[in-house]
Amino acid sequence: MIRSRRSRRTTALFVCYGAIALFMLFFLFPPYWMAITSLKTNQEIESLKGIPLIIQEGVTLRHYRDLFAKTDFLVYFKNSVLVTVPVVLLSMAISILAAYGLSRLGFAGAAVIGTGVFLVYLVPDSLLFIPFFKILAWLGLLNSKWALVVVYPTAIVPFCTWLLIGYFASIPKELDEAALVDGANHLQMLLRIFLPVAVPGIIAATIFAFTVSWSAFLYPLAFTFSSNQQVLTAGTVTSLIKGDVYHWGGLMAGALLACLPPVLLYVFLMDYYISGLTAGSTKA
Amino acid sequence: MHLHGTAVDVAAPARVRSTRARLSTRLRSRSAIGLLMCLPLLAVIVGLVVYPFFYAIYLSLLNKRETAFIGLDNYRFLLSRDTFWLVVRTSFLFTFVAVLWKAILGLTLALVIHTLPTRGQRIWRGLSLIPWVMPLALSSLGWWWIYEPTHSSLNWLLALFGVNPKPWLSDPFWARVAVILVNVWYGTPFFMITYLAGLKSIPQELYESSDIDGASGPQQLRYITLPMLKNIIAITLLFSTIVTLATFDIVRVLTRGGPRNYTHLFGTYAFELGIASGDVPLGAAVSLFMFPILAVSAFFILRGIRRSTA
Amino acid sequence: MASQARRDFLKTAATGVAAAAAIGFPHVARAQTKLTLGLWDHWVPGANDVLKTIIEDWGKANKVEIVIDFITSIGNKLQLTGAAEYRAGTGHDIMAFSTWDGTFYKDKLEPLNEVAEAVIKRHGPYNENATYLSLQDGKWVTLPSPIGSHTYPLETRMDLWKKHAGIDVQALFPPDVKKRDQKKVEAWDWKMFLEGAKKVHAAGFPVGMSIASNTDSNDWLGPLFATYGSTPMSEKGDITIDSEATVAALEYVKELVQYMPADIYGWDDASNNRWLISGKGSAIINPPSAWTVAKRDRPEVAAQVWHHDAPRGPKGRFRGSLPFTWGVWSFGKNKKAAKDLLLHLSQKDQQWKTITASQGYDIPQTNAFLSHPIWNEIEPPKGGQYNYPVRGDEKLIVAGWPAKPDIGAQIYSRWLLPTMVAKFTQGGVPAKEAVKWAASELEGYKRG
Repeated sequence: MIRSRRSRRTTALFVCYGAIALFMLFFLFPPYWMAITSLKTNQEIESLKGIPLIIQEGVTLRHYRDLFAKTDFLVYFKNSVLVTVPVVLLSMAISILAAYGLSRLGFAGAAVIGTGVFLVYLVPDSLLFIPFFKILAWLGLLNSKWALVVVYPTAIVPFCTWLLIGYFASIPKELDEAALVDGANHLQMLLRIFLPVAVPGIIAATIFAFTVSWSAFLYPLAFTFSSNQQVLTAGTVTSLIKGDVYHWGGLMAGALLACLPPVLLYVFLMDYYISGLTAGSTKA
Repeated sequence: MHLHGTAVDVAAPARVRSTRARLSTRLRSRSAIGLLMCLPLLAVIVGLVVYPFFYAIYLSLLNKRETAFIGLDNYRFLLSRDTFWLVVRTSFLFTFVAVLWKAILGLTLALVIHTLPTRGQRIWRGLSLIPWVMPLALSSLGWWWIYEPTHSSLNWLLALFGVNPKPWLSDPFWARVAVILVNVWYGTPFFMITYLAGLKSIPQELYESSDIDGASGPQQLRYITLPMLKNIIAITLLFSTIVTLATFDIVRVLTRGGPRNYTHLFGTYAFELGIASGDVPLGAAVSLFMFPILAVSAFFILRGIRRSTA
Repeated sequence: MASQARRDFLKTAATGVAAAAAIGFPHVARAQTKLTLGLWDHWVPGANDVLKTIIEDWGKANKVEIVIDFITSIGNKLQLTGAAEYRAGTGHDIMAFSTWDGTFYKDKLEPLNEVAEAVIKRHGPYNENATYLSLQDGKWVTLPSPIGSHTYPLETRMDLWKKHAGIDVQALFPPDVKKRDQKKVEAWDWKMFLEGAKKVHAAGFPVGMSIASNTDSNDWLGPLFATYGSTPMSEKGDITIDSEATVAALEYVKELVQYMPADIYGWDDASNNRWLISGKGSAIINPPSAWTVAKRDRPEVAAQVWHHDAPRGPKGRFRGSLPFTWGVWSFGKNKKAAKDLLLHLSQKDQQWKTITASQGYDIPQTNAFLSHPIWNEIEPPKGGQYNYPVRGDEKLIVAGWPAKPDIGAQIYSRWLLPTMVAKFTQGGVPAKEAVKWAASELEGYKRG
């Protein structure tokens, strides 16, 4: 029995690693392909000879250099930062307050609001962008990156609130009681007691807010069109490479660099990232 | 979900406290403060979601120049167009096929990773999420280059296996395959990580005792794993249905809805009509067609969550 | 005329400064008018820089700050930008529009009658096509612009066609219209083209024309249908697409498609350029943009490229065109300065420079400026671009002609013709059904 279980285990492992190899190939091929294209010379990209999967004619950094020197890439990067930072701060503030209010200060209608938050998360940007277009035009914010600061929170706040409610609820009530006895008001309680304890949840929510804000595409595509207002996603896809007949080297370089911040954030804070993703499902 | 539990819990300790007077003041002030803290959230929800949603409905009842009220005419017009029905069919097909594959592949990979020794899992888990972490519009650019007719690396790879090159972006059928493939690439990691978390929460004893009873791997899968994961599977399927139906980035970057409108989804078609062709009311009507499906899915999700916490 | 305008402008500015100084607003003296321009990002390397210099020099001389956005037409970005600015009521002071776009936005565009009439008075009329697009109901809603304006001749590898198809395009269309053999030119019709295409395809160098949602597709299919006598809609608004002529044209394209690469259905505006430059394509229907890039990257290909007339159809010869125009938004803040700049750019000196910078790509919309020597001189091959401006009997049109601009604009921007063709040639839908579909789409365009 033991032997068969062990040999079963070995076969299982063998099969598993085989499957993992296939999945890794599938998942990692696109970024790999983007990377080597961005390092190939134009001639090699164009040529149909040889093996395209490796660099055969020498690595070149020209596409990256041109990216900074000849395109508006840095402008897009700056805009992405200028939009993402306020959005994250704003969204986190709104979410933390609301999560605390909903999870700790039970009041009539809290449950309704909670469900409402959840439902709102389900109204997609591909539905909202049309009315937003008119509203932003009326506000005079069209073709301005600040329009994005107004609309991004709709995609972020509901999920972050929901996420944080889950984290806050798991903080023992005794902490509340102790603080209240000491005469702390709710704001102090939130800041001094809750937040430090809920740090993993806060980090997970912040990562989510950052990633959604950095990756948003439909809103910037619909609402900003001048080159100096573009953020990285819309800018790289539509305006980065102009008129040139062969542009993939530079395009891949731009796309990769633009992916870097969320990927780096993920690499360094992977556990928080994953716990944020799985929080909803396991708690449910 | 949590909220029912917490609402009840929070009230309980207060009741135990001192005099009734202090109790009621405390409750009232807590409610007031609670409500106050929720105001920004409510402002976002009401001002930036509920109001635009109803505004979209209003817009969809106007004529193209937005000077007259034409009732349901936009909807009637859409329902009479072949192109619109094509969009409907494509949206359903895309959503169904993509979600199905994401679930299957996600579960498979989760099972695979779960079978590995715990220490070794981390790196594969980490690498698997890369598609999800890369901004979708940008990874779609990478995929666009992979599919590029003359230089497709995918066709080059297929040629190694003796398969003819596929017209990825110029043939309606293959273009749909191409778009679904990117969505599956992007979404499978999410399914995987969710199922993996779910798998970890299944008590080991169940497997051990079934081992003693002589259960095989597939039997364990069928009688232990899947039933235990039932709720998570249901919820992720429904969530993914909602998100996949609303896909925009992939189609916009790869095909812009073509060829011949065969890859248009509701979102991209609404963008094409509303923003690109300047008929905002018609675009609003198109995107509102998504809503019934989203609402039904949301209903089932909520019911599923309520059932699992009851 | 420009100098008078400039003098007026300076006079106003001086008066303004004096008044402001009197009231005590010293910072006004340093304030400048600012003009933002949204211009088409040129295919031809270097052309953008020359235009930028011309505009900035004007700006310096007239104390106007200039900001230029060069916007690509890939992915219809330029078109989208125009649409967005129109809806937003905010945007560049001067905006470049291609083909029909100005029509869409004419209720928010400043009429440019003074500029247009000044140009016509001094330099003669604009060509018929440009006038049809810009002059609507007595108002010049946009001003014809040479920058980027181009036509769609055949851009052929004369060596490949001579060798494999036995057709010498260089001899058929020599660099002197008087030396043409009229009988041979008459014989150059779609049938002859098809036979040639068959032969070059067999030799491994197919022709390539896209049938997809891009301007290249509109710009060869529109004229092709016209040569068969098929038009989408009449000037009066009657839907005319449902005709024998349309079916005949469709059948022809189906035959031609056999000898073209399969991925034409997924091509974008740069694909046919790449097709020719790679050396694999033997002919495309395109302005000289492919040739200018080949000159830089594959000179041996460029030296064999000959531009010449399109084949004749049963109802004549038509050539596709994509004219650009400039528009001034009526909600802009600096309309006077914008008009002054446009007047300046429409003068012979400036247009001479930009045409040269475009290496002959830009076709002037003022007929008189076709006397520019570049098309005779630029090489290699010598005389290869002579027939790029229309020399023979081709009528310049845009897809959607002769419908009223409101409908024509939609026919173009909704890719009606390429979609109809692809339904038949790729989708296997019967010709009559594809035509019926197009007719119902046209009904939809009439909605307000």
